[in-house]
Formats: sequence, structure tokens, C-alpha cells
Amino acid sequence: MKKFKLLLVASLLAIVSMAFLTSNINAREAERVALNEVQGIPANASVSSEWAKYYPRQYDSWKRTKEGDEMEDLLKKKPQLPVIWAGYRFSIDYNSPRGHYYAVQDNVNSLRTGAPVDDLTGPFPTACWTCKSPDVVRLMEEDGELEYFTGKWARYGSEAVNSVGCLDCHNPKTAELAMGREYLNRGLEVAGLPRFEDATHQEKRSLVCAQCHSEYYFKKTEYTDKAGKDQTAMVVTLPWHEGLTAEGMERYYDSIDFSDWTHKISKTPMLKAQHPGYEIAKTGIHYQKGVSCADCHMPYTQEGSVKYSDHKIGNPLDNMDRSCMTCHRESEDKLREIVHTKFERKEFLMEISMDNLAKAHLETGRAMELGATDEELKEIRTLLRHGQWRWDYAIASHGSFFHAPEETLRLLADASEKAQQARISLVRLLAKYGDAQYMAPDFDTKEKAQTLAGVNLQKEIEAKMKFKETLEKEWHKQAKAKGLLDEANRKDVDLESSYFKKK
Amino acid sequence: MLKPNKFLIFSALGAFIFAVGMFAYTVHASKALSYLSSDPKACINCHVMNTQYATWQHSAHFGNATCVDCHLPRGDFVDKYIAKAVDGWNHSVAFTLQSFDHSIKISDDGARRVQENCISCHASLTSTLVSNADKYHTFDDSSVDTGRRCWECHKGVPHGKVRGLTTTPNNLGVKEVL
Repeated sequence: MKKFKLLLVASLLAIVSMAFLTSNINAREAERVALNEVQGIPANASVSSEWAKYYPRQYDSWKRTKEGDEMEDLLKKKPQLPVIWAGYRFSIDYNSPRGHYYAVQDNVNSLRTGAPVDDLTGPFPTACWTCKSPDVVRLMEEDGELEYFTGKWARYGSEAVNSVGCLDCHNPKTAELAMGREYLNRGLEVAGLPRFEDATHQEKRSLVCAQCHSEYYFKKTEYTDKAGKDQTAMVVTLPWHEGLTAEGMERYYDSIDFSDWTHKISKTPMLKAQHPGYEIAKTGIHYQKGVSCADCHMPYTQEGSVKYSDHKIGNPLDNMDRSCMTCHRESEDKLREIVHTKFERKEFLMEISMDNLAKAHLETGRAMELGATDEELKEIRTLLRHGQWRWDYAIASHGSFFHAPEETLRLLADASEKAQQARISLVRLLAKYGDAQYMAPDFDTKEKAQTLAGVNLQKEIEAKMKFKETLEKEWHKQAKAKGLLDEANRKDVDLESSYFKKK
Repeated sequence: MLKPNKFLIFSALGAFIFAVGMFAYTVHASKALSYLSSDPKACINCHVMNTQYATWQHSAHFGNATCVDCHLPRGDFVDKYIAKAVDGWNHSVAFTLQSFDHSIKISDDGARRVQENCISCHASLTSTLVSNADKYHTFDDSSVDTGRRCWECHKGVPHGKVRGLTTTPNNLGVKEVL
């Protein structure tokens, strides 16, 4: 009897383990077959979860951009910033970026976007939604590009409700890479580069990112709308007319007398670099060797039989095995150390240039108090404008220290040099007006720096909180009624900002 | 009504027969017998090797050498099947549990085998090289630890310089199957 008991137990064990094994094998085979099948077309393409039915892995990995939830108050970390940006809304609130999953909410929560009370209140134009949501692609198609770029930011509060997603980079019919923002093609054209449609697939894997990770400004454009009314659109425009370099863009901005704002302390007409990630990356060795943004930030990955591109866009160092190690043959630790050293070098020069720029603004302010004339300050202000532009251009796209370390350090050194030149002239000027010993006041905390910059933070926060209780709630209600809002994908997005923590 | 011991005998035999049938099915589903062949398509049964298959297929080695010609010991039947069994076991565990690295690296033992096979196929070439340049290379030493490997210089042979899934960006699914 014992023999049969043993046989029974052994057979059952064998059956169970083989059942697991065959189901695993068959599942892989089914994946392989499914992968080669034609996919369907998502119905409501600006809602990313609609794509999930056909591209479940891409969608799931996109959703994991939610894990990039760390937010750092950069004004606190680098208190030179409020002084450098005095008079501009960046001096009020500026945080490290979170994952794509949070783009819409972070735009809404930022103190920079102010506290509108209706569709017509500012401070910013509709252009501020442009890179936050696939709904923008839909709106540009429905309303026309010029109509989209007309009016105040708050106008589309109930329309731009889904965060950066599928439709931003893909054609819903074919799922091929696509560009939903025509201004990129206009930028490529003025730069003498091939249009998106004429680019190679590998270039497209960077160009879809360049739609947003680029330098831009809002160009005033007059037009007559459908109702025959004269309107002014503020159109996102890439300043690539003189090339994709910091100096080229500076020449272009100077030639059209453009300034983003006038500095509150030094009264200098300033430029604010947005995030020239694409332009800087193009000067770096990886791009020049033919590596696209997606190669490192969306590396190919394998799940069972299925190979796909990882849509959890973030730091490539989080999965070096799939990003770096496909080409590099050193150890992960060694590569990580190299990247870290690049970062340290950038931090070193960045701190110096920021200190010099901030002090130069304050010293200019003091010279003005003492009676220095605009004529006397003309050259100093040009140095400040150009120096700060270079510093901002070098660091605004975050990854530049890695994408193009030499270019980043070159720009930071040049920024420092220009700020120092300004400060030498300022010492002379201050001496002329009897205050050669002037020392710029401390700005070693966010509070001190914001006081110098004339920021009333409390007032901004109060207004924003009121907005969040009223108009923002109204936006949600309307978006839900229109069937635009995918509430599951707005979960937990509103737990943190620089001025509140609900976690 | 069956006596308890008879019930045990019948169910034990029944389970055994079922297990045998199931085993046959597993052999069929996993294409287990294909692993006894030297057809390169057997190596992409598990889909992870698609990249290696595709890069080999477009290389100069295609038509001259198959996967096993480079990767398994040649000549010695016993060595070959031991290597096959060990590799096969490691591969199937890694694939079933999905525990492998995405930039697959050759094992030391595998590297030794490939090096030996490079030399054995390209014997006349390597012997000339050895006689000319034995100060720089130790081709006659088959141990990987001390000798330099052929592909340290011939980086693109035969799989391309980029390793991992990036090598074949458009190769999303297996089209060729056994």
C-alpha cells in the first residue's frame, strides 16, 4: 500500500508542477502571438486609459511615472534663485519636477500660475497648458492653434485635465510616433532642419520629447477669429532662427528686443530660459553618437515574450541594466561614479555663477539708489542679461550636466565671467557715488531672498488655497460632466506642493 | 463500493497515467525535443534570444556557423551535452522566473567555449597571428583569465557592439518559429 501512496503523491506533485510550467509556456506563446496582431484604435484618445486596452504594458509603465513623486522646494535649496528672478513669478515658487503623471496638477498647484477667479483672470496665457496635457493636442485640433493660444490660462482649466500621456507622442490610429504641436515644425524649419515628418525614426524618438523639452517664448500674433473679431494669440515659439545654441538664441532675442520680464532690483530686461533639454542634448556626445532620448529614458524592456519600450520616463540610472549597460561595458558602479562626478563639477560652477549674478543685481540696485543713471548702467545690464541667460540656459533643463557636460560648464563659466565683469564695473560706479565698501545683503535663506525680491509669499499662498477650494473644484466638476476627466489617473496627485503637505 | 485500498490503487495509477500524459504534453508545448537539434530557431523558443538571433542572422557568420557552433564545445559529445544541459537548465529557470538581466552577458564558461571555437575555426589565421604577435596575445592559452579574448578587439562579431534589446529596435516579436 505504501508504494501506491508514494506513487499517488509523486504523480500529484508532478501534475501540479507541470501544470504551472505548461501554463507559463502557453502564456508566453499567447503573448508572442498577440504581439504580432493588429491593435485597435482608442476611442477617446486624450484619455490615456483608453489606450490601455490595446497597449497595456506601455500604459502600465506610463502609470508608474507616478512613482517619481519627490518634490523639492528649489528656492529653499538654492536661495540665490529668488534674488536672481526678482520681479518674475519664478521667485515665488519653483520646485524640482515630478513624473509625467503629475504635470497637470503641478501646473495648477504652482504659485506661479496664480489664483484666477474665472476664465478671464491671469496671470498667464493659455500657453502654460501646452506641455502639460494630451488634451492640448485635442484642443488645438478642435479649436485651431491660434484660437487655442488666445486668452488666459484659466480658460482651459476644465479642458486640460489629463496629464502628459499617449496622445502627446502617438498617432491614435497607427500608434506611430507623431507630433501634435505644430510649433515644433516651425522651429525646425527656421533652424533649417528637416520637419518632423521627414525625420528618421530614431530622430523622432527625440523630437517627440523636443515638443516640450525645449526653449520657447510666447510670440504675440494678431489674427481674426471665426466670428470676425480681432484677437491676439500668445503662440509658443521656438527661438531657433539663429541656431540651437545659447548664443544663437540670445542673438535672436536681442534682435527682436524680447525680454521675459524686467528685473525688480536691477531694472534689467531679462531672459528666462525655459528648459532647453533637446538643444543642449544635441551638443552632447550621446546625441552625436546617434543615441535618442528614448534610448536611455524609455529603454526597451522585456516581459515574458513581449519586448516594448518602457514608458516610465525618469532617471536612466534607475535601470542602468537596460539603459547604460546595453552599450557600455564597464561596471554599473563605475559609470554611476562618473555621472556623479559630472554633477559635482556642475554644482561647483553653478553656485559661483549664481552668487555672482545675485550680488550683481543687488549692487546694481544700490547704484541706482545712489543716483546711477541708465546710461551708466547700460553695459552692466547687458552683461547681467547675457550672463544670467547663459546660467539659466545651462541648468534649466536639469539633466544638462549629463547630456552635454562640456557645453554646460562652458556656459556656466561664461555666465560667471559676465557677472564678474558687471561687478567690477559696479565697484567703480559705487565708488563714484561714494559707497565703494557696499556689500550686498545676505540671501542665504529662502525667506531673506524673497524679502529682497519683494515676494509676499503668504498672500500668494492664501489666494491659491482659496482658488483650490473654489475654481479648481469647479474645473473638476465641469471636466467630469464633459467626460474628459479620468479620475483614476488623478489619484494622489494633490498630496504635496511647496506650500502644503497632506501626506 | 470500492474498498479503500482499491480506491488508492486506482487513483494512484490514474494519477500516474495522467502525469505521463501531462509530461508528454509539456514536452510538446515546450518544444523540448528541438533542443536536441542544432537549429538556431530552437534558441529563440524562449524569445529572449531574438536579439542575438537577429544580429547573427545578419552577420557574416550566418550560413557558416550556427549558435551551437560557437557556443557549445565541439567534437566531444559528452562535453557538449553537459554544457547543453547546464545552460539549458539555467536558461529555463531564468526565463520562467524572469530573473535575467536585460543586457545578457556570457558566463565565464561560455566565454571559454566561444574562444576555443574561434580559434579552432580560424586556426590558420590565429596560428599566423601567434607566430607574429605572441608578445601581445596569448592565443595558445585557452584560459580566458589570462588570454585576451578575440571579441575584445573584434567587438562586432557576430552580435554587434550594442548588447541587449536596443540592438534590434524593430524586432518586437518573434516572426520565425520552429
